[in-house]
Amino acid sequence: MPNPESRIESILSKKSHAEIRVKTLGGFQVWRSGAAISQKDWGRDAAIQLFQFFITNRHRHALHKEQIIDYIWGNAETKSGQQNFKVAMHGINKVLEPGRKSRSEARFINRQGVSYQLKLDEIWIDTEAMDQLLAIANQHLLNNSAIARKAYYEAIELYEGIYLPNRLYEDWSTEERERLQLAALNALISLSELLVKENPLESIRLAQKILQIDHAWEDAYRIQMEAYLEKGNRPMAIKIYRQCQKVLDEEFGIGPLPETQQLYKRITNI
Amino acid sequence: MSNRKEETASFMIRFTQKIFESEKGEAQVQWRGNIRHVQGGDEKRFSEFEEVVKFIQSKLQDLTIQAMENKSPEEQKGILAKSFDLWKKMATEAPKMVIETIKDPKKQVAQIQDQIQDQLSQVKEEIGQKFDVDSWLSSSKSDSKKILEKLESLSGEVARLNEKVDQLKK
Repeated sequence: MPNPESRIESILSKKSHAEIRVKTLGGFQVWRSGAAISQKDWGRDAAIQLFQFFITNRHRHALHKEQIIDYIWGNAETKSGQQNFKVAMHGINKVLEPGRKSRSEARFINRQGVSYQLKLDEIWIDTEAMDQLLAIANQHLLNNSAIARKAYYEAIELYEGIYLPNRLYEDWSTEERERLQLAALNALISLSELLVKENPLESIRLAQKILQIDHAWEDAYRIQMEAYLEKGNRPMAIKIYRQCQKVLDEEFGIGPLPETQQLYKRITNI
Repeated sequence: MSNRKEETASFMIRFTQKIFESEKGEAQVQWRGNIRHVQGGDEKRFSEFEEVVKFIQSKLQDLTIQAMENKSPEEQKGILAKSFDLWKKMATEAPKMVIETIKDPKKQVAQIQDQIQDQLSQVKEEIGQKFDVDSWLSSSKSDSKKILEKLESLSGEVARLNEKVDQLKK
């Protein structure tokens, strides 16, 4: 198995040489041979939606056509459902492989009878890269913090916002959105904890990033308090505690955890 | 026929568990979280499960109202009452388990074990003479998994026997 450095490099370099590159975090964009595919190129929204559905379900076994139609449009039994699928599939193939001869095998979508699945080998997807980087980071968190740190940084860099924001109200995208947001939050927590003593200012920056995602995430307040304490800035540490108290009260009607309260007491007793 | 999507309300619930020691040194569990109505995008944070129940109820009520736009006021009233009754049943039974889990996770595990024991008692009545079910009934928590595996394998055997009987009949 290649060493973790080269695994990280290989994940990142695939981004520059993959024929198809997909961004789903914080917005949706696809590049073919380095050129961005415009909304106009996609034609109908159904094609984009179907492609996004394939990305969301990239690790599931090949999905049956009827199942896909039912998930996306909820009308598999009707003619319009079947028509939507046909048009959308045609749109995807046209965008990803404009020069493909009709009836030849698609390069990026695997079709077996009436089941379909994305071929991941030649496509670079930000969420896939993020997952792979986080796996390396978590694996090395306890035995090689330098590698863990690098992998966490690269993964966090990819998390530019929620998954497919334009599909926020679609059932089929919800699970993946939640999973990725939690993964990003956990990565930010791990990294900011790693850096509290060594680089408190960076730790504060990362904790603030957590609060941008979820402003009631108590761990992020506590990490900031510790980092300010490390910097010798007691007033800021106290200010952060009060912010934490206020937010938890407003959002949940509860107070900070004993761990946070004890840290506050430690700060005020210095 | 109405579109399945128009008949659906989905909810994403996130629970965050916090375990800490009280001032008396006792272990405490706190749950906090948020619930989001997927189709509408509304979101609510909670620390009590009752808030989740209320949130879901209001969204389901909206769904029922939307679906009856073309009905007469009398019909609307009747459907709404039925929908509310159904929800009341679900809201008292289904979340009970979740609430119990939040209050006492061990109790929940015990409930699941009780369910397994009940099923085993039924099995005992049916096949008690052929197998030593009593030893299963007095099993510990760690044995539950093994028992389930045995039951699965037993079901497989029964299915295969049935197939053979069917073939013999033919």
